[in-house]
Order: sequence, then C-alpha cells, then structure tokens
Amino acid sequence: MTTDEVANFATVRQWLEAYSSHWNRAAEAAEQQRKLDLLRRYCELAGRDPDALVANLFRQTPTGTKIWMKRRRTEMARIDEFETLIAEGDQRAGREAGNAVRSFFIHNGVALTATPLR
Amino acid sequence: MQFKQLIGSRRSIRYFQPYRAVEREKIQTILEAARIASQAVNSNWAKAIVVNRDDLSEEDRTALKTPTTTAQLDLAPTWIFWYGDTTAPSVGQTTLKQLVDVGALNPSHGWSHAYVDNIIWTQVLTPIMSDPGTLAVVTAVEAGIAICQALLMAVDLGLGTGINAFNGAKASEVLGVPAHLIPLWVQLLGYPAESPDAGGQRPRQPFEELYFEGRYGKTFERDKNVVKQLESEGMLQPQAPQPWRKDEVRALARMFGLPE
Repeated sequence: MTTDEVANFATVRQWLEAYSSHWNRAAEAAEQQRKLDLLRRYCELAGRDPDALVANLFRQTPTGTKIWMKRRRTEMARIDEFETLIAEGDQRAGREAGNAVRSFFIHNGVALTATPLR
Repeated sequence: MQFKQLIGSRRSIRYFQPYRAVEREKIQTILEAARIASQAVNSNWAKAIVVNRDDLSEEDRTALKTPTTTAQLDLAPTWIFWYGDTTAPSVGQTTLKQLVDVGALNPSHGWSHAYVDNIIWTQVLTPIMSDPGTLAVVTAVEAGIAICQALLMAVDLGLGTGINAFNGAKASEVLGVPAHLIPLWVQLLGYPAESPDAGGQRPRQPFEELYFEGRYGKTFERDKNVVKQLESEGMLQPQAPQPWRKDEVRALARMFGLPE
C-alpha cells in the first residue's frame, strides 16, 4: 500500500478533513505526507487497512454504536509498540509517530490519548 | 478573589504543571470548605480520599484511568476521589436533634426532638434509606454541594481544578473503598499549565430557557442591567472560544506529547 492509496480510504479522508476543521488549518503538504506515511507503516504493523482498523473497534448494538473496549486497549498497546519501533532512542520522534496514529483514530470517533511526556 | 469573580473564573482545567506539587495546607483548606457545605439532615454525605499521583504505582495509576481522562490524571499531581456516603442519613436522628439543640431547627418552625424521633426518622429517613433509587439521588445531590464548594475553594487558592470520571470498581480495589460509598468524581488539583481562563467561559444554554417564574414555561425575565453589572464584576466573562484558544491547546498538546 502506498501513501497515495492510504489517503484514499474513507477514514483517512475523514481524519484529514476533521483535523483541518478542528484546528482551523490543514496540515502542510510535507507534514501531511509524513503522517500518511506513518499511518501506512502502522497499517503494515497491524496487518489491516485504515478503514478496517477503525471498523474493528466499533460494534453495533440495539442501543447504537459502541466501542470494543478490549480491542481498543489492544490497539493502544500496539500504538505504544509502534512508537518504540519508530523512536530508535528519540522519544519525541516516537511520540510524534504514535500521535499521528492516535489522531487518525480520534478524528474517526475513537476516544484515546497518550501518557503525557513530563 | 471577590466571590462573583471567583464563580465566574472557575473552569475545568485539563492541563496542569505536572512538576508542581499542591501545598498540603491548600488541600486541607479545600476539604474544610467541603465539610461545612449545606448538607441535608446535617450529616456529611461527601467522603473523600486524597491521593498524590506519584505515590501510586504505575499499574494502579493506569487502572484508575478512563480513555479520555488519561492525560489530565497524569498531569495533575493531586487527586481527590469524591464519594457519596449512602449511610449518611443513618445518623439523622442524632444530627437533626443537634440542630434543634443549637437553635438551627426551632420550635418556631415546628421542630422538636419528638418530631425528629416520631416523624422524621420513621416517615422520612427510614423510607429514604430503604429505597436505593431515592437514596442514590439524595446522596449524589448532597455530596455534589460539598464538591462544588471544594471546586470553588481550589480556584480561590489559585489552583487549577476540575471533576472527572474515574473507574469506580478499580478505585474501590486500589483505595480500599467500602461498598456503601458511591463513586462520584475525581477532583484534580494542580497549578494550571493552560491560561487560567482556559479560553473563556463555556457556552451555556440561554438563561431564558432554563429559569421560569410562577410556572414552568413562563420565562424569568433577564434584566440587561444586571447582566452588565455582573460583567463588570467579573462573574460573566467573555465566552469561549477566545481567538487564541486552539493555538494554545495545540502548543500544550505538543509540549506534553499529546495527540492533536
């Protein structure tokens, strides 16, 4: 999967649109490309495309859509693992990579966050 | 801070200076404020457990979080777990008679020891205690009044504060909480990393849609002069979002390595 292909998934378009709408600014082209590449690498790690990643976390119930809590915990742990893989000793770089993925999930309606660096 | 300005300045703070501890005397002052809040039957419905974030193990800290409170729990150095005590009315017979004795509940209003023993205890408090639904509502309301005073006191002391959901079941395990206490909120305390006005006063439903006069649906008319006065006294403040707020949040997110 290329970054161009990643950008065409509905959940990725949703992410980029919601991100620019929320922050009143679109990510610069280079920054966006970097984030798409990080998401592509994350998809490789997870063995799922972006739409499948998001769909895997939701379930339909008689009272509406719910999040699979256990699956979200698994996904959060995988993001932490991804951070470590990318970081190679640079904690900030790893965090930036993890946050690109977290931002993708957040703007698709999956509430999660990171442990602050302090 | 003047009282009206204090009410107007309270915000739910979500970004704290993680390295700056809250002075113990300030924590006590907050608890003292809660203790003297208005409380039905003059019993203390609110119970609290103060926890220093850094005294908890990593495992316990993680267990207490919810998906959207992770960041602020990690940033705030002091957590106050607030509980509603469902056994509070069980001392009502004694505490109400104390109020009679100290001249708070008086014969001029029909109060006596006999009324407490024969009517209030048997016809009011005992039925409340045997109805879990009513008991939960009363407990939550009464504890909420105390928590409100704790929040306002924290603001008066120059702290950032806010109430958040927490994992009640895990907290019971970690903090050794007995079953008769209902988990309500965790109040976070710390020095704000965000601007104290946190981007402005939060949008609320219009006054006219909330308050009525005489009967439901007849709006309590809002006097513009009163509004103007409250603005000048700092109770009504510029509404969020301030133009710089998203830039501030973005800068904070980057500083703490949080997602955008």
